[in-house]
Amino acid sequence: MADGSGFYAPTLAQLFGAVPVTLLILLVSMTLATLLAAVLTACSASASPGLRAFRAGWTFLFRGTPLILQIFMIYYGLAMLPWIRWGPAWPAFRDPIFCTCLALTCCCSAYIGEVFRGALAAVPAGEIEAGKACGMSRLQLLRRVIAPALIRIALPSYSNEVIMLAKSTSLASTITVLDITGVAQGIISKTYRTLDVFLCAAALYLLINAILSAGLRAWADRLSIDRPTPKAVEPL
Amino acid sequence: MTSPIVLTANNIRKTFNGREVLKGVSLEARAGDVIAILGGSGSGKSTFLRCLNLLEVPDDGEVMVGDFRAPLARNRKGRMVIADPRAAARMRGETAMVFQGFNLWPHMTVLENVMEAPLRVQRRDGAEVREKALALLERVGMAAFAGAYPKRLSGGQQQRVAIARALATNPKVILFDEPTSALDPERVRDVLALMRSIAREGCTMIVVTHEMAFARDVSTLVVHLADGVVESSGSPAHMFGLDASPAFRGFLAPAP
Amino acid sequence: MSGLALLGFGPDGWGRLLLSGCLLTLQVSLCSMAIGTVLGGLLAWARIRGPRPVRALTAAYGIVLRGVPELLVIFLLYFGLPSLIASLWSAMGWPPPGLLPAFVTGGLAIGLVSAAYQAEVFRGGVAAIPVGQFEAARALGLTDLLCLRRILIPQMLRITLPALGNVWQFNLKDSALVSVIGLAELMRVSLVGAGSTRQPFLFLSAAIVLYLVLTSISDLAFRTLDRRFSQDAKEAS
Repeated sequence: MADGSGFYAPTLAQLFGAVPVTLLILLVSMTLATLLAAVLTACSASASPGLRAFRAGWTFLFRGTPLILQIFMIYYGLAMLPWIRWGPAWPAFRDPIFCTCLALTCCCSAYIGEVFRGALAAVPAGEIEAGKACGMSRLQLLRRVIAPALIRIALPSYSNEVIMLAKSTSLASTITVLDITGVAQGIISKTYRTLDVFLCAAALYLLINAILSAGLRAWADRLSIDRPTPKAVEPL
Repeated sequence: MTSPIVLTANNIRKTFNGREVLKGVSLEARAGDVIAILGGSGSGKSTFLRCLNLLEVPDDGEVMVGDFRAPLARNRKGRMVIADPRAAARMRGETAMVFQGFNLWPHMTVLENVMEAPLRVQRRDGAEVREKALALLERVGMAAFAGAYPKRLSGGQQQRVAIARALATNPKVILFDEPTSALDPERVRDVLALMRSIAREGCTMIVVTHEMAFARDVSTLVVHLADGVVESSGSPAHMFGLDASPAFRGFLAPAP
Repeated sequence: MSGLALLGFGPDGWGRLLLSGCLLTLQVSLCSMAIGTVLGGLLAWARIRGPRPVRALTAAYGIVLRGVPELLVIFLLYFGLPSLIASLWSAMGWPPPGLLPAFVTGGLAIGLVSAAYQAEVFRGGVAAIPVGQFEAARALGLTDLLCLRRILIPQMLRITLPALGNVWQFNLKDSALVSVIGLAELMRVSLVGAGSTRQPFLFLSAAIVLYLVLTSISDLAFRTLDRRFSQDAKEAS
């Protein structure tokens, strides 16, 4: 404890050096998971029973098993399959960051898909009817009525999922990725200052989450500003 | 021989968000009184009523119900707070309240709603409480619904159950907070008729209401609250007669 | 050896070990859920009725424990708690106890995180009960304790059941994280089996199937409970 700031400053600097890795995994997974979730939601609304079954099965699998198991399966398990091991995609599947992003994408797409599904059901039917009544095409309806309402409704739950995703990036450290947690473990193995290093890492994650939350909240506020809040009716 | 005083409120003051809603309101209720509190919105009448059973804590003043003085004291910051929650609960046990929104407990049947306070607060015997509760439900015309859940009842029916619930504890005074404002006109009539018959039995009631006919025909004292003070008060004959204060007459018949 | 034999219950089979891993998974999940419910209830109560500094503290607890990765919480408790206890113990003159068993720290860690989420569930449940019901209770003289027992808790159980089902599923899946500190629950057993037999795909698939069974049964159980509870309410109407 005598080091005081002599320990924390270089530690934090080292941990900060790992932030780009964490952010990379976070942003890639978040983007792909959201896109995939949109596809899944479209499947859920589709007329084809096959697509609906696919979405149901996908969601069942990826919400019913732990993320860490999914990561291990993609990194270690799939390497056993000959068509992966000797296939063209092997350089990707050999890379732990790729495997982490793949697992995170699949897993979070299931959760975000459920958020979108719930939001879709909550879009006020009256708004859709009004759109149909004035002759909007299905594409127009989607773009001008459904999507804005869906985004506004889904945003709080979506924000929660993004935070969870940010936390889940730490699991990359279990397959040798040098993200914040991975680097922290490395520092600990050299200095044995377990508590201090992990506390610093925790603080970094809190910082990332705080920034994410603030950004998402600002977006949510912007979306509700677009909607005029009805003024209280003056009593006659 | 005058009837005993059951409730006294002295100089009640209350401020909400910087706005002084009650600026020193006093009231005295004797056994058998039916006091109607009238006033426009923002006059503070609901707030005053809720101060009487400490659902709101007045910033100044005192309240006495029967032998109980409201256990109020100033905390370290100078704000008035309930100093003894147990004593407050005991004081509230001497009163009962009927709300604009009925506030029946949805997870209990009608009978259980009426039995709850006598059973758990007053710790009376179960069989006796049940008998009394059924009799009360009979009295308010809801005996057939004893086993039903509030969800199934209309507003008027729920309010009648709420009145039975209020009667069940033999309170010294029943506080009515705009009991008919959330009901449609036919139900209003039924509930007012019930309140009328209860009043005739000698029940002490303090009623915040907009129903002028009720105030004129049933009450023994009419209090006009305006701007947080008692603007005028008196017997219904006086208040609804020609020598009432101009402010009250203006309230009764606002200029177009 | 064929895959099925490896997973089976024969002399070289890992079936028994996998099932005992399942059992440990359930045990640590149940413990962490229990810790989460008790602590979460206290936190929710403190957040609603406590004085301002207590409310701020409980809010901070929620923010921190929902914002830090569960893996870090596990590590922090596993390594940090013993050193904390060690400094306390040495201040008293006692010898340091060494590392605590992984079940204890793992269950406690997941429990602390779960408490943060359950506190939010309980807060939402209380908010869903119209305040008028509490006013009616207080107006009739019911004490705080009676209000809690007779008005709040009966309705809370029904309202929060779906959300608590979700929390349970998260507890169940987070239990797999305790494998990193060596607890021999399902995840760890399957990894050990995978490493020992060089068959990761087989063992991880078995683990996937077993977790799916656990989560499916839980889902079914909660859905049945939910239907039973709202059945009571439906019978009433």
